[in-house]
Amino acid sequence: MAYVIPKENFSGKVLEMTLGAGDKAAVVGGGSALPFHSFEGEGSTRPLIALEIQDVPPSDWPDEVKKQYSSVSDDPAGWAKYCQNDLGAKAVALRLVGTHPDRENRSVEDAVGTVKAVLDAVDVPLIILGSNHVEKDSQVLVAAAEAASGKNCVIGKAQEANYKTIVAAALANNHKLIAMSELDINLAKQLNILIGQMGFSSDRVLTDPMCSALGYGLEYTYSVMERIRLAALAQNDTTMQPPIVGDVGMYVWKIKEVMAPETDLPEWGAIEERGIAWESITATSLMVAGVNLLIMRHPKAVEGVNKTLDELT
Amino acid sequence: MALTGVQIFKLLPKTNCKKCGFPTCLAFAMKLAQRQAEISACPDVSEEAKATLGDASAPPVRGIMLGTGDKSVKMGEENVMFRHEKKFVNPCAIALNLSDTLSDDDLAARAVEVAASEIDRVGQKLRVDAVSVEFASGDAGKYADAVKLVADKAPEAAIILNCTDPQAVEAAVKVVAARKPMIYGADEGNLDAMVALAKEHKLILGVSADGIEAVMDLTRKAKEAGVDDIVIDTGAKTAKDIIEHNTQIRRSAIKKGVKELGYPVINNCMRDDTMVEANVAAVAIAKYASIILLNHIERWKNLALFTLRQNIYTDPQVPMQVPQKVYEISDPAADAPLLITTNFSLTYFIVAGEVENSKVPTRLAVMDCEGLSVLTAWAAGKFTANKIAQFINETEDFNAVSHKELVIPGQVAILSGALEDKLPGWKITVGPREANGLPAFLKNKTA
Amino acid sequence: MLIIGEKLSIIAKRVREAMMNRDKNPIQEIAESQWKAGAGMIDANIGPAEDNGEGLMEWMITTIQEKVPAPVCLDTTNISALEAGLKVHNNEWGAPLLNSTSNDPERFPVLELAAKYNCQVIGLTVGKGGLPADAEERAGIAAEIMARGMEYGVPMENIFLDPLVLQIATTQDQAIKVIETIKMFQDLNDPPMKTVVGLSNISNGCPKHIRPILNSYFLSFLIYAGLSAAIADPLEKEVMTAMKTTDIIMNKTLYAHSYLEM
Repeated sequence: MAYVIPKENFSGKVLEMTLGAGDKAAVVGGGSALPFHSFEGEGSTRPLIALEIQDVPPSDWPDEVKKQYSSVSDDPAGWAKYCQNDLGAKAVALRLVGTHPDRENRSVEDAVGTVKAVLDAVDVPLIILGSNHVEKDSQVLVAAAEAASGKNCVIGKAQEANYKTIVAAALANNHKLIAMSELDINLAKQLNILIGQMGFSSDRVLTDPMCSALGYGLEYTYSVMERIRLAALAQNDTTMQPPIVGDVGMYVWKIKEVMAPETDLPEWGAIEERGIAWESITATSLMVAGVNLLIMRHPKAVEGVNKTLDELT
Repeated sequence: MALTGVQIFKLLPKTNCKKCGFPTCLAFAMKLAQRQAEISACPDVSEEAKATLGDASAPPVRGIMLGTGDKSVKMGEENVMFRHEKKFVNPCAIALNLSDTLSDDDLAARAVEVAASEIDRVGQKLRVDAVSVEFASGDAGKYADAVKLVADKAPEAAIILNCTDPQAVEAAVKVVAARKPMIYGADEGNLDAMVALAKEHKLILGVSADGIEAVMDLTRKAKEAGVDDIVIDTGAKTAKDIIEHNTQIRRSAIKKGVKELGYPVINNCMRDDTMVEANVAAVAIAKYASIILLNHIERWKNLALFTLRQNIYTDPQVPMQVPQKVYEISDPAADAPLLITTNFSLTYFIVAGEVENSKVPTRLAVMDCEGLSVLTAWAAGKFTANKIAQFINETEDFNAVSHKELVIPGQVAILSGALEDKLPGWKITVGPREANGLPAFLKNKTA
Repeated sequence: MLIIGEKLSIIAKRVREAMMNRDKNPIQEIAESQWKAGAGMIDANIGPAEDNGEGLMEWMITTIQEKVPAPVCLDTTNISALEAGLKVHNNEWGAPLLNSTSNDPERFPVLELAAKYNCQVIGLTVGKGGLPADAEERAGIAAEIMARGMEYGVPMENIFLDPLVLQIATTQDQAIKVIETIKMFQDLNDPPMKTVVGLSNISNGCPKHIRPILNSYFLSFLIYAGLSAAIADPLEKEVMTAMKTTDIIMNKTLYAHSYLEM
């Protein structure tokens, strides 16, 4: 008796888009099969991994990841260059966390200066992230989008409370956009609808359904991502077809499991490997669920994910 | 085809005799329909009904116990493709693979690693469940000695005999028969001999072949020869193979009713690079593996993989709960604000996240409300003035607090009067209705 | 189809204030308007009512029945408040309904009350912690509630099984499962078990203009599946239109051009 492989052919697809400009531009998304199901359809392109840098020294990062960048992290342009040239990053994510009123409260002009310096320093696609302060982001990201006009960057994150100004700036300056909602597939769809109603085409949107770290709600993010992919493919829901973003690093590098020294918790094992494994397993799981663009911090975690991707694609 | 509870009920004696342990035949029928009871519990059911029910109630993926004693683990019995549909039932067993060519000291040391792998995580005790001994020496006597040594040093772990030589398996089974080792395994060349051993000692038989079609042929033959407990190995070599093979097997079993594939799956995740091994194991855990074989079980890796397994196998219908206690965020001083909420983990994560965002050092008292969100817990009588007052009065964690002001969620503003009555000396302040109002609220409060 | 008017709920600010001040007028006005709009029973939801729930429930029932010749649905987690309410309830227009028992041991005493006072009771098919995933799980819990009812001496015709309606905005997959459950519940006994839903919960959290649409379409499916009763807002025109129209389509009421005005 011959075995018939039970295949599912979907009518929907994942939108494909190019990030960045020039030789180092990268493609994310695409395909019409569930993640890594190439036996039944064309898969998405290999997930793109961006290394995260910040506009101010990463004082709140745990030592294990901070020390990876100690020689460059006081200069965003040098840091970006190090990621691209020394670590081989295929994309860089600049988080303008220093603009947060409770951090350094850097001005919009300062942020623009940083964006320009980083853009001059690297050729790989640049993701420009705010500080997750709803009001400040809507000023900072608008100015950053203008400063980066023509570079086909990814601007984020637009949320329900501030999407209008950010969408308008991304639209006017020809950028891609990250739309973020909080662990709720229905709110994710709603935000994508609202953004579409502003005339912003869905093939320029990336969906961030909010990340969570392994052990800290990962199962919620995992299932929301699986459901987004199923809606895109099986229900052909065009609002759910943008590529998915996993902002992994910032959720992983603040939890106890990456910070507690082995001397305090010997049963948890070596702190260095523990942190790397935490970030790389979080990222790997989310790729299986449907992530197309990862934002990560530890170079060795990225290396581990990349080697795993070599086996997966 | 599965029968509904009512269809099953019609086949039962309808005596409500309670001998099955359920109060009525109807209640028993409903449990049978959910595959949470077995028809053999009914002493009065007719043979005809038993036959009808037996077929209908066989789960699409056979449930099998790996190992013996308290630390044995159940595999299989899965019903869905995606965890949001319904709970994944039996978490993947993690096994360390050891070659019998290792020195006795190395074997002993590594088996002890398995024995000592237990970690407590959010109230669950988690461990490396099994140890697999690989036959690489070519010497059956040496193999049996190695298996004996490992079994003694890891006295509670399940034993997997990773060996395709029937003589060596036989020798090893003899020394650890009481541990019910899994034979892994059978292949096209040795099937008859391995089937005989599995039947004789009532052991699980792992069946290996290159690809799904080839392995189906072997599971059919093994089943026809009288082996019920089978584990499938399709020879998946890469992470991509693992996803593809495991997905096809799960789909065939639960959606197409392919009996030859209705068994748990074992995946070889062993890699030289331990970080890659961790990632490949993560892929297998997420994608339907029932046993994974590893080369390295460092403590950091165990912690991460146990946590992932716990996350993936969480029941999506049961609200995840965080432990009841007072959480200190951003190192609060004695006079820092004190908030209270329920122990639904999503509520906690979102509230704690917003408090962190605010950068205002704060204490967050989390009260056990069976994992319900604030308004639901209130309506269900779990987050009421009496219960909150009792929690506040009985919790010692408040010793570090120098004030008596409690901020309650805006959704239960209605409780503020009753709480002030029940907590004499306390000031009750009504916080924002939604968590995203917390940063502004907290900043305003401490300004 | 029995409509149980849902509007006398402590969650509504106006009702809550009237309850606190023992102000009869708003309570009677709301009760009467629901009855006139077609409610055959009035729900009195006093919340957990930890403090003097007995007095509040007694007051609510006598206040409602002073103006409305209909039975009351007693809605609270406070057992002694339920009992106090049963003692003053006027059964002239029908037996009262207790809201509710379930598979949570804390709620078992409600069944004892139902037996003692020979009244009707809602059996909510949830256990302790965790929500039912599908129709089979709900029917399994229903069978346990029914068995406990038999043990306590509650006739099956006095039990209304409630599958627990969940919000479409957060648990969309459950709506169709609730419809399937209504069908399955009826098969659990002969004569069929009675069923009830808290209808408006389907649209809880949705924008105001969407809510009547969701409520009324959902109700049509539920009636088709055999629903006996719904706790709903009879003043929501769409809901009553859906109910009357579904009955016409199912050939349960005789058609006339003005059937909607009846």
